[in-house]
Amino acid sequence: MVDLHLDGVSKRYDGTAALAGVDLDVADGEFFTLVGPSGCGKTTTLRTVAGFEDPTEGTVRFGDREMTGVPPEDRDAGVVFQSYALFPHMTVAENVAYGLRFRDPPGDATADERVAELLELVDLPGTGDRDPEELSGGQQQRVALARALAPGPEVLLLDEPMSALDARLRERLRRQVKAIQSELGITTVYVTHDQAEALAVSDRVAVMHDGRVEQVGPPEDVYRRPERRFVAEFVGENNVFAGRVTGRDAAGTTVDVHGCSLRIPPVDASRDDRVTFCVRPAALDPDEVSNRLAASVTTAEFLGEAVRVHADWNGRELVVRLPDAPDGERVTVGFDPDAVHVVGTDG
Amino acid sequence: MVAIGFVAMFGRRGVANDLLGALGLDPLDVMGTLGVVVVAHAFYNAPLVTRVTVAAWESVDARAVETARSLGASRRRAFVDVVVPQLLPAVLTGALLAFVFTFMTFPIVLALGGLELATVEVWVYALLRNLNYEEAAALAALETLLSLGLTYAYLRYEAAQAAGSRGANPPPREPLVPSLRALLTPVRLGVFAYAAVAVVVFVGPVLSMVWTSVAGPDGLTLAYYEFLVRRQVEGTAVQVKPWPAVRNSLLFAVGTLAVALPMGVAVAVLTTREFRGRAVVGAVAMGPIAVSGIVTGVGLLLGPVFGVPLGGGYRLQVTGTTAVVAAHAVAAYPFVTRSVAPQLGRLDPAMVESARALGASRVRALVDVELPLVAAGVVAGAAFAVAISVGEFDSTVILAEGSRSYTMPVAVERYRGRRLGPATAMGTVLLVVTSVSFVVIDRIGGRFEDG
Repeated sequence: MVDLHLDGVSKRYDGTAALAGVDLDVADGEFFTLVGPSGCGKTTTLRTVAGFEDPTEGTVRFGDREMTGVPPEDRDAGVVFQSYALFPHMTVAENVAYGLRFRDPPGDATADERVAELLELVDLPGTGDRDPEELSGGQQQRVALARALAPGPEVLLLDEPMSALDARLRERLRRQVKAIQSELGITTVYVTHDQAEALAVSDRVAVMHDGRVEQVGPPEDVYRRPERRFVAEFVGENNVFAGRVTGRDAAGTTVDVHGCSLRIPPVDASRDDRVTFCVRPAALDPDEVSNRLAASVTTAEFLGEAVRVHADWNGRELVVRLPDAPDGERVTVGFDPDAVHVVGTDG
Repeated sequence: MVAIGFVAMFGRRGVANDLLGALGLDPLDVMGTLGVVVVAHAFYNAPLVTRVTVAAWESVDARAVETARSLGASRRRAFVDVVVPQLLPAVLTGALLAFVFTFMTFPIVLALGGLELATVEVWVYALLRNLNYEEAAALAALETLLSLGLTYAYLRYEAAQAAGSRGANPPPREPLVPSLRALLTPVRLGVFAYAAVAVVVFVGPVLSMVWTSVAGPDGLTLAYYEFLVRRQVEGTAVQVKPWPAVRNSLLFAVGTLAVALPMGVAVAVLTTREFRGRAVVGAVAMGPIAVSGIVTGVGLLLGPVFGVPLGGGYRLQVTGTTAVVAAHAVAAYPFVTRSVAPQLGRLDPAMVESARALGASRVRALVDVELPLVAAGVVAGAAFAVAISVGEFDSTVILAEGSRSYTMPVAVERYRGRRLGPATAMGTVLLVVTSVSFVVIDRIGGRFEDG
């Protein structure tokens, strides 16, 4: 097992930058997730680690081994793709054993023992003689995982492995992957566009946007304390406000947003500085007396445990979570200044 | 296999072209008219246009048509507004290819037209026979330039098509014969009329050749085959014997296979990968399709066969078998590439990447993963290569001139000077040998596919 480092990795295709200076450090045994919208560079980053892409600039290291220019077959990285990519002309067992043609199984197990062990690990014992296409999507993806793990790689790279599966199966499989990863203690980089999935399984998350890393941290940090507007809006639902400071005192700061004075906690900013802050939908409360916002309802969606209301407030959209659907076309909510997270200020 | 047999029989360099030459398209005595030359070419090129158009049609998204219909377009209108614009480039491409092939045509014109209707190809051949090498070479170069330009245009178009045809949802096909009554609609009548003419033009020559070979003046006879056997036994050294022709053909076919198969697969692998200058490599690799057999023959004859001075008193000289195999391999490998590349292109790139991440080198991944999955394409490519080698006439006739390396089609042509009978008998032998080769390739390929 090994730690993993990317230093100033850039990738350009014909002049357009897919990655613009990515620095990442993944600890030994960590479950590290790259999350972001499509085209943000997360898959390119993973492919650079795997050796399928060479960075235009920067270096990739496994521990203190410099990996730039090392072909994928010499990297000791197991890869699982969204499309499973099982070899259709081989049985399940032959698929899992494929990597053992090039590397000895770890310990003194024979190849057959290793295959059996891994099929056991992914909860598919006895399927070795089947053809991959006889298995369901979820089962195929577990075979792909077993195949990637069989030679005992130093790093496990997962590229949207659940995206082709339905929601319920996805949740079960991701718990299973997480459990296997913890058991083996293997350094893992996981790529997904699904921020909820990223928050659920990761030790740490890197949010990517436009070829850059916006923020790295444990899921709670990234969710509760986004450092940039993009992160605040991408990770979970959020209401982001931007305005100018009109006054400050010991108890807090007053900000003018769309001609409305809102109170937020004290921030290090002077009068007329711009402040960006966010409030989660669940923190917008009809019974809260401070920071009242009167808005007109555009849609109300029943989610089961709550109702999600989209409403128009001074021409900007608010997202509110209410226990019941609002009666009438208007809704008035307030928020406690303590529920505010300040994303940033600038003079 | 049926399709390949068809190509072998009716392809541009195919057996049928040569057989047509052997037959003089007997019993139809329309030799030497412009009309018959054009009709023959039209029929040989029609399947090509069909193929290109069908490929484009399959990449038309059925949902686009459904959307047009739901927006109020009639069936006919949706076809005109949505399908036709997407097919137009393909139809034009088909026209272009047909033009190139006809432009380079040799055996049909040689057999049907005579020198009054001589194409550039026939002219080159005629110049060559008069030992007028310089003029032949100049003419050949001119011809190649033109057809290479057209081929490049085709490849550019094809590349653009491939980029746009992902995730297509082809429209359902209509059964050709849904019911007996439907047979009477004008469209289907047209299709069947075409099929009938095609049978006459394609199958007719083959059947009539076989028939002629056994039909003597007094009913059925094996006299022409007897002639072949007698020639084999009694023939003098300078006469063309049947057995060496068969042996040479098979030898060249095996040689062509050995050279063209690895080469074609390598080019296929190269051109399905994304890299800078891929279009240029693709065009160069496909070049031989645009270079006629006559031109290849002239090039090899004037270059290596006559000898290329290497300086220091040495000359690079390649003759006989090697020259013919080289010519055949060059003609054949683009067809191997053509049949392997599309299948390779359809493979999930994650497949090879998985193999590599597991420790396989690029070559190893090719052998373990890609080749087994495109085995059908490789077998088809092998069949193409053999078909082209066995049926090749244009360059062989030049290179075999005066040497012992004549092949079956060349033997057919030589016997033709005599009487029709022996030529048709030789043609039938060619047919049988070719068919047997296909069966053998299919068997071997089938075993390979099963693992």
